[in-house]
Amino acid sequence: MKMRLLLHSLPVSRFIIRCAALLAPARERAEWLAEWQAELWHVCHSYHARSCFHGNAEVTDFCLGAFQDAFWLRWNNPRSIPRRVFRTGSPSRCAFSLAVWTAASLLICFCLPGARRAIRPSPYRHADDLVMISSGGYSGAQSPTIRLRDYQSWRTSAQHLFTGVAFYQPIRKRVHITRHQFAELSIGRASDNLFQLLNLPVPLPVLSDATDQSNREYTARLILSQAAWRSLWGGDPGVVGRVVRVAGQRALIVGVVSKSSWQLPGHMDAWMLEDEQHLDALPSSSRGFVLAHTRTSGSLARLDGWRYMTVRREDGANDRFDCISLAQRAQMPSSIFLFTLILAFLSLPATTPLPLGEYPRHSGRLPRATRARRWIFLSIKFALVVPLVHFTSLDVAYGVQAVSFTTAQCIQLAISFFGFLFALRWILQDQRKRCPVCLRLLSNPARVGQASQNFLAWNGTELICAGGHGLLHIPELPTSWFSTQRWLYLDPSWSGLFSDAYIASASLV
Amino acid sequence: MAIEPKLSHTAAMILQTIHAGQIYGFSLMEATGLPSGTVYPAMRRLERDGLIVSKWEQQSIADAEQRPLRKYYKLTRTGVTTLEAMHKRYPLLERLIPSREVKNA
Repeated sequence: MKMRLLLHSLPVSRFIIRCAALLAPARERAEWLAEWQAELWHVCHSYHARSCFHGNAEVTDFCLGAFQDAFWLRWNNPRSIPRRVFRTGSPSRCAFSLAVWTAASLLICFCLPGARRAIRPSPYRHADDLVMISSGGYSGAQSPTIRLRDYQSWRTSAQHLFTGVAFYQPIRKRVHITRHQFAELSIGRASDNLFQLLNLPVPLPVLSDATDQSNREYTARLILSQAAWRSLWGGDPGVVGRVVRVAGQRALIVGVVSKSSWQLPGHMDAWMLEDEQHLDALPSSSRGFVLAHTRTSGSLARLDGWRYMTVRREDGANDRFDCISLAQRAQMPSSIFLFTLILAFLSLPATTPLPLGEYPRHSGRLPRATRARRWIFLSIKFALVVPLVHFTSLDVAYGVQAVSFTTAQCIQLAISFFGFLFALRWILQDQRKRCPVCLRLLSNPARVGQASQNFLAWNGTELICAGGHGLLHIPELPTSWFSTQRWLYLDPSWSGLFSDAYIASASLV
Repeated sequence: MAIEPKLSHTAAMILQTIHAGQIYGFSLMEATGLPSGTVYPAMRRLERDGLIVSKWEQQSIADAEQRPLRKYYKLTRTGVTTLEAMHKRYPLLERLIPSREVKNA
């Protein structure tokens, strides 16, 4: 109760008004404060005279309204910087909006795991030398394409090309977490050198003498993903060293890896590393993914920057396999970005004319800085729009986990190309609609001339700069004597028609 | 042709209230029932548009009544013309807050 009385006391009310006064423009602050303090005196006097029980709370409510009043004064002050900056059609408002959208798309990119992976470099060391081998034409496939027998054959016959070859096969298996608890997990059944090849540290099991004898008997090592470890084992650090049953085998849990460490095809909850003897027991026609570490002096054939390997079959025909390096896979979104940007630049003249219009020399009255500002603004728009389109395409393409890598690339390609094309088109169109002096969007379009007299007189649209800097004439039909839009500078004698305050502010922003 | 200014119902009500003789911010609040956060910015807007003018009262009056100086508002000629136009737009405005002449009658 005491606290409530204190909050609604007169000193607190005065303090509220003083705080609100800080929002009011400095020039008007003293008068504004005097008026509000005088009004406060009358408000208090009125409530006390009426002995109103709720008077104190109403006085506080009255004082809180001072913030709205002060804010209104600040916003509507012609000299107010926020008002000048965020005025409709101003270049700063345009740049600010673009910056906000770009920042938002980047933020979304960091929030979506798939999109985040797409902008980050490959987490694997020597990713240039690590290649993912897949059947010819299926380099982006998310499903396994290599038969186990091919992998077995390369293990021995392709040693002149690769220093190591690893195999993994995504499977879904039931895992006995505890005696009475089961879970169906996505497991990567892999050769035991997979993580070594990826340069990811996997601890070797060190079993103390105290370890239960039954825990010493295992046929595979199991590495858990951080997500599975948290959800199924509750993040228990003591899980390492335990033996669980996976697909009829006893597997020893040897470690946990973070989700970001795995950027290869297939969503895995765990990886079961088996020795070659156990892998060889699988049907030789079963398919999986094959990863290899190339020799630096290796002789993998290159075609347009892509490496491939040709293997002769027993029947005399050749099988071609694509060998895409992990670095190349990680750079794919960036490559698509560059490709679509160049393609959009090349396609741009087909969608909009490139010239920005005719701007006559202004008898040297325009300072060089003002002329340069126009080009700086164009560059800023370009610098903000390009990342905006790129991050948005990544958000849409890679943000949805359900689609495959190839589909995501196609989505990125489409969004990126059309996004760049429309964005570049907008940049040019927006630039044409701005005053070359104050860079504000031109307003008050007026139709001039008659369409029926197109070849006899000028016919088109006229726009005016609200700051009185000039007029823009846009022809309805481009003719040999009026092919593109023309700017006409207004001399100072016209300034009487325009607001002085506006002209002053326009030259500032 | 005269351009009819566009005023919201709130702004028209405040204009009518000032015309009715409530010439201080707080008295306007009491007469209209609007909060201070609406009344004061609306008065600033009306003053900016030249429909009302503000003036500080004389120091001697405030001293005699032992209270702080107060700012009061009154309608300009444009304000009166606008209010007449607003009466056509909002016919119940005059009945809601009767003018001094109406009250005296």
